[in-house]
Amino acid sequence: MNYDRPELLDRLAAEYVFGTMSVRVRRRFQTIQRALPAAQQAVQAWERRLTPLARSVPPEQPSAAAWEAIDRRTGGQTSRPTAPASTWLSWLKPVLGVAFGVVATLGLVRLYPTAVVPVDEIVQERGTLPASYVGLLTDAANNPVVLASSTRHGRIMSIKMLRRVDVPSGKVLQLWALPKEGAAFPLGVVPSEGKGSFQMADTSEKLLSNVPRLAVSVEDAPARAGAAPAPYLLSGNCVKLW
Amino acid sequence: MPTAIIASADLQQLLARVALGDRVAFRHLYDATAPSLFGVALRIVRQRDRAEEVLQDAFVNAWNRAAGYQAALSQPMTWLTAIVRNRALDELRSGARHSAESLEDRESGTASEIEDERADPLELLEQAADALAVRDCLDAIEGPQRQCLALVYYHGLSHSEVAGHVGSPIGSVKVWLRRGLDKLKRCLESLP
Repeated sequence: MNYDRPELLDRLAAEYVFGTMSVRVRRRFQTIQRALPAAQQAVQAWERRLTPLARSVPPEQPSAAAWEAIDRRTGGQTSRPTAPASTWLSWLKPVLGVAFGVVATLGLVRLYPTAVVPVDEIVQERGTLPASYVGLLTDAANNPVVLASSTRHGRIMSIKMLRRVDVPSGKVLQLWALPKEGAAFPLGVVPSEGKGSFQMADTSEKLLSNVPRLAVSVEDAPARAGAAPAPYLLSGNCVKLW
Repeated sequence: MPTAIIASADLQQLLARVALGDRVAFRHLYDATAPSLFGVALRIVRQRDRAEEVLQDAFVNAWNRAAGYQAALSQPMTWLTAIVRNRALDELRSGARHSAESLEDRESGTASEIEDERADPLELLEQAADALAVRDCLDAIEGPQRQCLALVYYHGLSHSEVAGHVGSPIGSVKVWLRRGLDKLKRCLESLP
């Protein structure tokens, strides 16, 4: 075929953009486009002409999992099981800051009645925070949303919602533990805003020592052991604070 | 995730930031365009899971190719829609499982019943022509040609599928499409 003829390229470009080419011819024409700028230009011209027709197609909402997969495949947050050092340092301090608010309810409040002592001072005076597991869950835009914390040998998981989550009526926000190996398991239900807590099935140490990540999904009812999670709305690292 | 109405210039800004590896901009670009693009993919491949695969591949492709996007050559939505349509058409054309699965998924459905589940593509073509103020030009195209054009563009039907759908020989369909495309080209070239 003589691809020097502009009218032929225009015809092929029209069929390519319009979609009538067979798979074999499509592949061949894709190769030609890469090699021949005139073919590429003819295709772009047809794309400019025809794309306005697509505007009348009603939009459809893809599932949250679609973005998660895109984010993972392009090297985003969800692709990293553990955060690199720089990220870690950047969110450690705010985590410690808000963690204090929760940890305070677990005992420190007796030592510090004001309960609003800056974390720097606490660390300075005590040398360290009590051994705890802390999870910071973020949304797809990387905004911190849930702070979950529990003392190392305790069974109470304290939750602080850093921003409100809109939950459809009759649904619950289920917190899941994502272990290094094996399936995710449910920990409990978190509130849509404010603070809350729930009793876990066992101590943090037993449940979370091999759990690098936590996630939240929207479920019809609190998940039972062995249940499969719906697509995750929020997720984040779970770290040992000692 | 609300669908934002976003100006082309804003999308260009976002694409420029995406080209520099800005993930926040990438997320904003996705939020602003994914529902429209997913709608386009879904009409072509018809199954949500396959349409989501198309959408994922298209956005991964957009992320990787953003640095090569040339604002002078195409509007952001044109660029993105082309990536999605190409991926959807590749998926449709290469997937022999498409028709088999579609039929299996709907136990009692026949091919024509399944076709009816999607809104009439001719209506979409007419709506688009109204929005672009080229309705008179479109109406000058003969009915069967218009119908064939709409089935191909919105549903990605092949020559033989269109022939089956409109009950005409494949040779006639090819001629209609070729003439129809020429007329459509003239209609759309009159756009500013």
